[in-house]
Formats: sequence, structure tokens, C-alpha cells
Amino acid sequence: MSDVVLSVSEFVSVFNQTLENAYPSINIVGELANFHISKNKWVYFDLKDKYASVKFFATVYKLPGPLEDGLVLQVSGSPSLHPMFGFSINVQSIKPVGEGSLRRAAILLEIKLRCEGLFDDSRKRELPYPPNSIGLITSGESAAYFDFMKIINARWSGLNINFIDVQVQGDRAPEQIISALNYYNSHEKLVDAIIITRGGGSAEDLAVFNNEQLTRAVSASRIPTLVAIGHEADISLAELAADKRASTPSNAAELLVPDKRIVLDHMTRSKVMMGEFLITITSNTRAKLVDKTMRLADIVTQFARELRQSYTMRHQILTAYNPASVLKRGYAVIRSKDTRIIKSVKRISMNDKLDIELNDGFILAKAEHTRIKSKAH
Amino acid sequence: MSNKKVNYRVLSVELDEILTKLQSNDLDVDEAIKLYERGMEVAKEIEKYLKEAENKITKIKTCWQSEESV
Repeated sequence: MSDVVLSVSEFVSVFNQTLENAYPSINIVGELANFHISKNKWVYFDLKDKYASVKFFATVYKLPGPLEDGLVLQVSGSPSLHPMFGFSINVQSIKPVGEGSLRRAAILLEIKLRCEGLFDDSRKRELPYPPNSIGLITSGESAAYFDFMKIINARWSGLNINFIDVQVQGDRAPEQIISALNYYNSHEKLVDAIIITRGGGSAEDLAVFNNEQLTRAVSASRIPTLVAIGHEADISLAELAADKRASTPSNAAELLVPDKRIVLDHMTRSKVMMGEFLITITSNTRAKLVDKTMRLADIVTQFARELRQSYTMRHQILTAYNPASVLKRGYAVIRSKDTRIIKSVKRISMNDKLDIELNDGFILAKAEHTRIKSKAH
Repeated sequence: MSNKKVNYRVLSVELDEILTKLQSNDLDVDEAIKLYERGMEVAKEIEKYLKEAENKITKIKTCWQSEESV
């Protein structure tokens, strides 16, 4: 073997082949160091421990989120010797490990996404209450599923529950959950609310819900989405991005639909109230009718009174104008021989015969002399 | 089983509107009677729906179904 002489390129080729056969893929865990991104495309970093440090190379698409030196990561990749740039490992996947690093990575991602406005209140929509049809995304064998279904069935009726069974932890979980979200969103008439839920677990278990793609998918969901991740401490990024969050699967069911026992009680009370309202309205109407009738009677009475007054007044006037009354007051009516009433002295000449009517009789007289009243009169 | 024709939200809103209208001051007796009758009808429909309808579960097939779920 030591007699074989290779050119530099040949050596690189042979060496890489050996590496490919021996280590097609390896997983390494270590502390991130010298992390930098070039031209927004190429990622270079080292993973180190107390005694050693190895170089890695990746594209930005492999990044699980914003990273910083000091984070403990588990990286899978294939080692290779670059003809020019030396040894490095080409990254297949990266994920933070350990509670500390998971939390720190989530914080970095939260800052980035919050700056983009993904968690803004203005983006959150109300869920229909109650929904007619829901899209459930959870693990079918989990306690979360059974808890959720138990509460939903106790509280509400007539709901269409569409269910997609997914992994809720592990490397396959994000893509399955995102797939499920996309399914419901692309069948828009199918559901009017989406629920993603799981029960409690370790920091590693719950890391799925701090995944950047998953968080973005929840934020982008056109159908209102509720995310309920049961745990004690931090709120996951998927929950921050959701339109609504609940603390547990049971709590999710409580927020989603009303309690039919309370609604049925409300129906009973409503029926009683409507009866009472009707009684009130009819008795009010009756009272108004009585009131109006009385007012009408008043008006008619008043009208009759005025009519009588008017009649009385006219009667008095007529009475005053009655010639008989006038005669009683001492006036006389003078007629000429042809029985025409004389109103002017000009019509009378000397010695004319005059017929004078008084109140109680007549006088036949002869005119002696007339005199016209002056204008001043 | 589940009454597809009943839209709970629509009925619930209608009932609330009827309750509000029945409390207003200037309501005709004839109108009030009509509202009362419709209100009772709506309340009964909702009761029937809640007592009789059932939740229906539809499991959607996925391409990863053959794998173990957690």
C-alpha cells in the first residue's frame, strides 16, 4: 500500500470515496463556534468540545433558525475533503440540543420573528364561536387527543371534526404538521377553524413548536388557528403565532365551543322572557288604548261645550236683532200708505199719511214737518 | 343524525335580535306576536339540535400513515 503513489487530486478523490463508504452520514454534537454566514447563502461554523474542533459547511436553508456561538447543536452531515479548502463536514441537518440551547435558540428566533411582526395582535383573528367544522391536528394515540375529544363531545353537538394524525415530536413532526396545515388551508370550505394540540413533554419534545417553518406556517394560515401545547413554562413560538392559544388540549376544547348545558338553560330562560315581553307589550298597548279613549272622550266633551257656547252666543245675537226685541226697547217702525218701511225723511212730504208700529199697536198719523239731521250726527 | 340544515350561529343571532326587538318600546302588538312565535320556534330548533345532533369525526388519510405515530 505504501508503494502506491497518488497525485494530490487522486488522493483527494480516493479519500473522499473512503469517507463516503465509511461515514455516509454522521451525527456530531458540540458547541457552536466561529459561526458566520457569507453572501446570505453559505454558512461556516465549527463544532467544538474541550479537546477538539471540526469545521462544518452548510447552506442557509439548513438553518433551523438564528444561531449564535455557544449554542450546543447536534449536526448530521457527511464528511469530505475539499480539493482546495480542506476538510469539512457538509451539513444535512442542524438542531439545538439540551434545554439551555433549545431555550436560547427559541429566544433568538422569537426576536427575529417578532421583528417581522408575526406575533402582532393585529394579525390575530377571532375563531368562529362555535365553529361548524374543525380541523384537528394532533397525535391520534395521545392523551391530548382523548382529552380534547372527551371535552368537545360533552360540551357540543353537531360539530364536523376533521382529524389528521401527526407526530407531535421528533424530526418528522414539523413537516407533518405543516402538511396538515396546508391541507386544511387548501380545502377552504372544509373547516372554519384549525386546532393543533399536544400534551406536556420535555424541552426536546416541545422543540417542534419552536421550529421556524412551523411557526411561519401557523402565522400564514388563512383559516383561524388555535394552538394548545400543554406544558408548564414557556409559551412556544407556534402558540405566539397562532390566532388563539390555550394552555392544554382540554382548555382548547373549552375555548372552542360553548357549553351546551348553559345554552339549553339560556333557551329555557329566553322562552320565559319572550312570554313576559309579550304580556308587557299587550298590557302596555291596552293601557295606551284606554288612555287614548279617555282623551278622545275629553276632546268630544270639549267640542260639545264649545259648540253650545257658540250656539248660545249666536242665539243672543239673533235675539238682539229680532225686530220684536227692538220694538220692546222703544223703537218704532214707520210705514207709508203702501206698507213700505220708511227709512229716510226725504221720502216724506207734508201731510203724508204714516202708519207707525210700536211694540203693542199701531198709530195712524199725518206728517207735519221734516228736518234732516246734520252731517255731524 | 346531525342536522345539517341547522346553522347554530345564525339561529343564535336571530334569537338575540328577537329578544332585543321584543324589549323595544314602540312595538305593534301584531308584530310582537309574530316575533314571539318565531322566537319560540328558534329556541325550540336550537334545543332540538343540541339534544339530538352528534359530533362527526372524519379521519383524513395521510401519506405518512404507515409510519408509527408518537
